Amino acid sequence: MSHLSPERLAALADEQPTAAELAHLNVCSACASERAVADALVSLASEERASIGLPLTRWESLSSALQSEGLISRTAPRISVARRHGSGRMWLQAAAALLFVAGGTVLGRYTAGAAPVPGFSSSVATRTVQPSDSQHTVFTSVDDARAARSKAQLVYQNAAAFLAQHDSGSGGGESPSTMRTRLAALDRVSHAMREALNDAPYDPVINDYYLTTLGQREATLRQLNTALPAGMRVSSF
Amino acid sequence: MRSLWTRHAPHIDTVVRRLVGPDHDVAQDVAQEVWIQIFRALPTYRGDSKFATWAHRIAVNRTLNALRRIRRLSKIEVDMEDDTVAVTPDTDRSFVMASIEEAAARLSPGARTVFLLHDVEGFTHEEIAAELGITAGGSKSQLFKARARLRKFLAHLVDVPEHMDVENVAPVS
Repeated sequence: MSHLSPERLAALADEQPTAAELAHLNVCSACASERAVADALVSLASEERASIGLPLTRWESLSSALQSEGLISRTAPRISVARRHGSGRMWLQAAAALLFVAGGTVLGRYTAGAAPVPGFSSSVATRTVQPSDSQHTVFTSVDDARAARSKAQLVYQNAAAFLAQHDSGSGGGESPSTMRTRLAALDRVSHAMREALNDAPYDPVINDYYLTTLGQREATLRQLNTALPAGMRVSSF
Repeated sequence: MRSLWTRHAPHIDTVVRRLVGPDHDVAQDVAQEVWIQIFRALPTYRGDSKFATWAHRIAVNRTLNALRRIRRLSKIEVDMEDDTVAVTPDTDRSFVMASIEEAAARLSPGARTVFLLHDVEGFTHEEIAAELGITAGGSKSQLFKARARLRKFLAHLVDVPEHMDVENVAPVS
């Protein structure tokens, strides 16, 4: 039997060889090797299914288009849609945990004598954060606690949305090379988080890390595109 | 909506980019169109599948429709744009992804689409046939031709090192 054609070898990644083909593969190292390569190619391609590339869309332009379509209004609370479609609970948990982490960080820095937020003076932060108030909050019922949590979640989401749109200066001192390194590291983190979410898809803590990583990735990409010369953009990093 | 977009945009945008190819501007337009369609169809989402799976289907379907509409399946440009920065990949992951995308861009539009839908996106030949208006047999034929060509383009990724014993690498059962 002559050698198997490249197309037939490629097909053997999905199909079983005939008896004649099998007999040939057992004695022909070249075809056997090519069959292994075909299998490797298919594995490589399927592994790419979970990969993440650079984003193509930005919420700012997308939201404008959605407003034009009448799908969202300028005053519509963002949280309502997610809640209506069943995935809101997880997002609320994620937002609450993020708020908790952020609050803990601020409180920790405050009690350690540092500015609650890097770059802010203590006097400003003391006026706006008031950690002692939240530290001594006492809830009298589950409903009270839930209401406070919902309010805090909305405040957090609004703050996060505002920062994502306006806070482009936090990484202003970083070079494009540093930002690309950071992007690669964030990709590795998000990959690890996705693996973890396969095992525990509803774990709020892991979801928090994952969402935070994606948010940081988006912010870094925005900063990187800002840092590059006009007319240039990143296609890979 | 922003929460849904934030969480799923990395995957949805990647699917769009893979299917559209290297034309970044077209990919951006199609991705925005895909997201509008996802949000337009959101009231019909019943939760009987994962949101990611549901959105993925819409993304693929909408992207293929967009490609057909603007007649890009027959004339997708391969060259990168002049104003695009080619940055050295930092990780094996991005290198592999870039290699596959560049190699796929060298295939005929039909073979490229079938390869991406089957081997990367996980569609069956029957699903591909329905999406592209071809037969399942035609889908298989295109796929195997595509793989055979990609094997040459991606030799640096898939070749078995010469020192390895190929008889052990590829046991034939």
